[in-house]
Amino acid sequence: MSTTLALHIRSLKFQYPGTADKQWTVNILDFKLAPAEQTLLTGGSGSGKSTLLQLVAGLLDIQQGSIEVAGVSLASLSRAKRDLHRGRTTGMIFQTFNLLHGFSACENVMAALMFSSIPPSQHRATALQLLAQLGIDKPDSDPDRLSVGQQQRVAVARAIACKPALILADEPTASLDPENAGGAMDLIQQTCRSIGAALLCVSHDPAMASRFERRISLRDLNAQATQEAAR
Amino acid sequence: MSNSMTDWTIILRSLRARLFSTITTVVTVAVAVALMLVLLMMRDSGRRAFERGSGNMHLLVSADASPLVSILNGIFYANPPRRPIAWSKYQEIAAKFPLDFAVPTQLGDSYQGNPVLATTPEFFTKFQPVPKEPWKLASGKFFDTEWQVVLGARAAATTGLKLGDQIALTHGAGGSRDTGASKDAQPGPAPGHVHSEFKYTVVGILEPTGSAHDRALFTNLNSTWIIHAFDRRERAEHASDSSKDHDHADHDHDHDHDHDHDHKAHHEPPMTLADITDEDRKVTGLYLRLITREGSDSPANLPQIFDMLRRDPTITVAQPNQEITRLFSIVGNIDQILVGMAGVVMASSGIAIMLALYNSMEQRRRQIAVLRVLGASQTRIFGLVLTESALVGVLGAILGLVISLLGVRIVTAIMRDRLGLVIEPLLSPEVAMLVVVATIALGVLAGFIPALMAYRTPVAKNLKPLG
Repeated sequence: MSTTLALHIRSLKFQYPGTADKQWTVNILDFKLAPAEQTLLTGGSGSGKSTLLQLVAGLLDIQQGSIEVAGVSLASLSRAKRDLHRGRTTGMIFQTFNLLHGFSACENVMAALMFSSIPPSQHRATALQLLAQLGIDKPDSDPDRLSVGQQQRVAVARAIACKPALILADEPTASLDPENAGGAMDLIQQTCRSIGAALLCVSHDPAMASRFERRISLRDLNAQATQEAAR
Repeated sequence: MSNSMTDWTIILRSLRARLFSTITTVVTVAVAVALMLVLLMMRDSGRRAFERGSGNMHLLVSADASPLVSILNGIFYANPPRRPIAWSKYQEIAAKFPLDFAVPTQLGDSYQGNPVLATTPEFFTKFQPVPKEPWKLASGKFFDTEWQVVLGARAAATTGLKLGDQIALTHGAGGSRDTGASKDAQPGPAPGHVHSEFKYTVVGILEPTGSAHDRALFTNLNSTWIIHAFDRRERAEHASDSSKDHDHADHDHDHDHDHDHDHKAHHEPPMTLADITDEDRKVTGLYLRLITREGSDSPANLPQIFDMLRRDPTITVAQPNQEITRLFSIVGNIDQILVGMAGVVMASSGIAIMLALYNSMEQRRRQIAVLRVLGASQTRIFGLVLTESALVGVLGAILGLVISLLGVRIVTAIMRDRLGLVIEPLLSPEVAMLVVVATIALGVLAGFIPALMAYRTPVAKNLKPLG
C-alpha cells in the first residue's frame, strides 16, 4: 500500500459569496485520511458537511488553503483536470443511488470507466467482473428492475470502478430502514477495505458511530481551526 | 453490445429516450430543409428551363395580345394562340428582311394533351432549341412529307408511341390543360374533337433538349392545313344539313361518333393538298433569326428590325431573351420572398430543436450531475448537448434532402401539367452542401442555450433525493 495520504486538508477556509466577512462555512486547519482508513464525519444540517464534500470532490473552487487527494493538490489543477482527477481517484456514494436511467447496470459501471485510464476494449469485461463480485447476476438489466439492495450494489460498483483512493459517502443509509442500512454499510466498508480505498462517510445517524473507529464532528474540526487562530 | 460507453452512447440514448420529441423535431427540420431545397432547385432550373426553348431565334412574331403571352404560347406551349397570322404576312416578312431563317409554326392541335406544332422542315434544320445544340434524333427521321409526325422526347415517353405507330390528332388542346378559354374564341367544330379521318405515322423521336419542345409533337403545315380545310368544308355542309333535317344540338351530340364513316362516304378521298386555299394557310407564329456575322449572336440591325416589325398593328413581335429577363425580374422577386420565407421556416425549426432540448434538460439534470461526479468536465457536458442538437440537425438535413428529391418530382410534374414548363430539377452539390451545413450550424446554434444550461447544472443540488 502506498504511503501517499488518500486525503490531506490544510488551512482550508471556505465561505459562500454574500455571507458576512469571516463567516466561514468550512474552516479546517489540518485533516488527514490515510490509505484504507475509515472515518465518520458527523454534523447537523447546515454544519457545512455538504460543502466540505463538494470541496474534496473538486466540485467547488478552493478559496484558501489546500486539499490534496491521492497526493495531488486540487488547487493546482484546471477545472477539467480536476474533474478527471475526481473521476479517477474519488468514488461517490449518495443517499439515493443516482443510477443513470435508461442505461443497464453494466452501462452504469462502464460510464464511470469512460473517465478511467483503462483501455475502452476492456471496459465491459471490467464492469461485468466487478458486478459479478458484488453479486449482480443480471448486469444487462435496467437498474429500475433490480431490488433496492441490488441497486445499492450497482451504485457501489460504479463508485469503485476506477479503483479510487478515496470514497466519499454522503448519508448513504438515510433512506434505508435500519436492517438494510446495516447491510449497505457492511457492503461499503468491506468493499473499501478490499480495494484499499479510504472512506470518508458523512452521516448524522447515531447507529453509525459503532462502525467507525475514528469519528469526528465537523463542528470540532472547525472549532479547532478557530482556537488555533485565536492563539 | 459494445465494449465501452462513449459520448455517442449517451447522446443516442438521450435521443432515444425521448423518441417522440426527437422524431417530431427531426421531421420539422427535414420539412424546412426540403422546402428550402425544393425552392432553390426550382429557382435554378426554372430559370434554366425558361432560357431554353427560344434557342437561336432572335424574334418571335405572332398575333397574340402581348409579347410575353406570345413567348409563353409560342415557345412554352402554355395555350394555343387564339389569333392566326395570314400566310401572306409570313411571305411579306420573309421577303422584306435579311433573315437567316423564318420558320412558320402553327399550334392548336394536340395528342393526349401534348401540343402539336405544325411547321416546315427548317424547324429542324435551321432552328436550334438551345443555342449551339441542334436537334438530334433518338431514332427515325425528321418528317419530310404530309401525315408524318416527329415526337419530342417527353411526348414519346408519356404517350409510349413508337416509330411506325399511327395516330389521329385532336383539334384543340384537349387533355387536362385550359381549354375553357379557347372554347368561346374558336368557332367551328367543338374543341377536343379527334381528326380520326387523318392518320399520322410516327417517323421520328427526338433526343431531349431540356426545353418545353420536348413535350410537343411535330408535323408539317400542309397536313394541318388540309385537316382544317376539311373542317371548314364540313362546317359549311353541316350548316345546310341542319337547316334541312335535324336541329343543331342533335348534330353536335352525334358529331364525334359519326365523324369517321359519315364523311368518308361524302368525300372520297377526304381531302388533298390541292383542295386547300390561301384562307386555310394560316400560321400562329414565326421564328425569326437575322443574319449574323460569324461568332456573334447579336446582330446590329436587330433593334431596327424589331422596331419596324412592331409598327405593324396586325402582329406582335417579341424578343424572347428580353421577355424572359422581364419575366424573371417579376418572378425573381417572388422567389426571393419564397426563399426568405423558407429561411424563416428553417429558423423556426431551429427553435423547435432548442425547445425540445430545453424541455429535456429538466429531466437530465440528474444525469448530468452523475456524469460530472464520474469525471465529466463542464466542457464535455456542454459538447454532449451541443452534439446532440447538431445531430438532430444532421438527421433533419438528410431526411430533408430525401424529401426534397421526392418533392421536387411532384412539383415538376405539376409545373409540367399546369404550366407546360419542362423543368429538369438539378440540385447542385454546392447548394446541397450549403443547405446541409447551414442546417447543422442551425442545430449547433439551437443547442447553445440548452448546452449552457447543462454546463451550469449544479452538481450537488441535483444528486439529492427528490422531494
